Amino acid sequence: MSEFFSLQGLPLLACLLMTAILGYVGLHVIRREVIFIDIALAQIAVVGAIAVHILLGVHEDSLAANVAAFGSILVAAAFFALARRRIHQIPLEAVIGVTYAIAAAGALFLVGIAPGGHSHVQDMLAGSILWVTRADILVSAPILAAAALVFFIFRRPLQAISEDYEGARAAGYAALRWDYLFYVLVGVVITTVVRMGGVVLVFSLLIIPPVIATMLAESWAARLAVTWAVGAVAALGGLGFASLHDFSVGPSIALGLGILVALTGLWRRWGNAG
Amino acid sequence: MGDFTGFFLIQIALIAVVLVLHTYIGLHVIRRTLIFSDLVLDQLAAFGAMVGIALGVRYGSSGSYWLSLVAVLIGSGLLAAADPRDKRIPREAAIGILYALALVASLLLGDKLSGGGDYVTKTLAGAMLWVSWPLVIVTAAVYIALAVFHYVFRARFIALADPNSGLRRRRLWDFLFFTTQGIITVLIVPIAGVLLAYAFLMIPAAIAAMFTRGWFRAVALGWSVGIVACALGLGASYRWNLPYGPSLVLAMGLFFLVAVLIRSLRPASRTPAEGAAS
Repeated sequence: MSEFFSLQGLPLLACLLMTAILGYVGLHVIRREVIFIDIALAQIAVVGAIAVHILLGVHEDSLAANVAAFGSILVAAAFFALARRRIHQIPLEAVIGVTYAIAAAGALFLVGIAPGGHSHVQDMLAGSILWVTRADILVSAPILAAAALVFFIFRRPLQAISEDYEGARAAGYAALRWDYLFYVLVGVVITTVVRMGGVVLVFSLLIIPPVIATMLAESWAARLAVTWAVGAVAALGGLGFASLHDFSVGPSIALGLGILVALTGLWRRWGNAG
Repeated sequence: MGDFTGFFLIQIALIAVVLVLHTYIGLHVIRRTLIFSDLVLDQLAAFGAMVGIALGVRYGSSGSYWLSLVAVLIGSGLLAAADPRDKRIPREAAIGILYALALVASLLLGDKLSGGGDYVTKTLAGAMLWVSWPLVIVTAAVYIALAVFHYVFRARFIALADPNSGLRRRRLWDFLFFTTQGIITVLIVPIAGVLLAYAFLMIPAAIAAMFTRGWFRAVALGWSVGIVACALGLGASYRWNLPYGPSLVLAMGLFFLVAVLIRSLRPASRTPAEGAAS
């Protein structure tokens, strides 16, 4: 047992950190029905980083690349906040889904025209949470804590807008500005955690625990508690399963989450009726 | 130079055929907010091909196509079933979870397959093959058959998009809808790659849906904008030797951004006649 924790202690810590922040963000994402936002923002940040990597020749993980990634998130956040206000004919999810396609094509285009351009698709997808270092966590934790603090301070307007956009506007909230803040925060959180966990794990932690929580609880606080419990159980189970049977950690935890959501769904459908 | 013109014509001809059905299916996907369904089917088609590799079936062979088709049919069933009764959970979330699990299945299988990671990457980025006339003819034949099927039963499929339509056997029609989407996915992804296939489905339809509510009118508008964008993108990719798939997606994406801009500056004042026109 102690051997498990000495090997898996850091990955477990990283998973719990991700669960804590993604569970809350996910409750917003489900309520707003913008499921694609995670994959789209991650892809948009990648385009920014690749662009300066190719144009300026800087390393993909340099300060300049990170600034460019953050800059492209600021632009995308403004675009999504404006699209939510102005485009009524198609759902925002469709706008985000199309933006993802454009960003992904942009990345492939840049890689394709650059001499010696390359991409690490598989690494980015599966992640390498097993190799998470103390330094990764020391860099990520303050960023995530700062984002969480902003989410906490402004929870009232942010939750009001996620619950009911037009209602919040009628109540006097400047929805456009709060929406902008929301998408910037989501972008910062997603790009930080994707480095640790990879797209699959981040997407699963963002969507699945909040869906389970929405089925089981009513208030934001109760739902948040459920997402944390679900995330912690899946992280422990997934890490154990992966180390026993030699599978990738990220997909193993995601599989655990999938089993939990399937069981909850079946229980809600048949268990309660019978 | 003659070769280039020949390839250009074949490719435009194929895109012209493909865009009709993709725009129509895409309109459904957008109006019903099932945006993730295409990624689910893409990923399952890739998973089917990977299962084939595990069983010793060569990637790109007909056996591999059949396995993809089986995986996609299972996916259509799951997509039709994944309709939460709990209305606080959007259907898109359930479909997103299916996508995550399809990706998880592929990655876990890839762990146990020698060189499995390469296949995950390959199926994602799309291995662009040169389009030939026989391929165009087979693809066109299947597309036309599916288009006729959808034309005949259009009332049922359009009723799916309206939650209050009282359509009977909704699950069955949903299944048939996703099956159509799955079949075109299996056909187009080896040619165009996942990203371009997804863009064919989403971008022309998204542009059209912003400007008209009628179904026929939207297909006509989406197809017209799509073919112009694709011709420009394809031309640019030949002229300046740019990557093929991304150039097409970016050309369509440019039209999408312009459409969003127009709609932002001039919010809709839709007349009821416009919706009733078709």
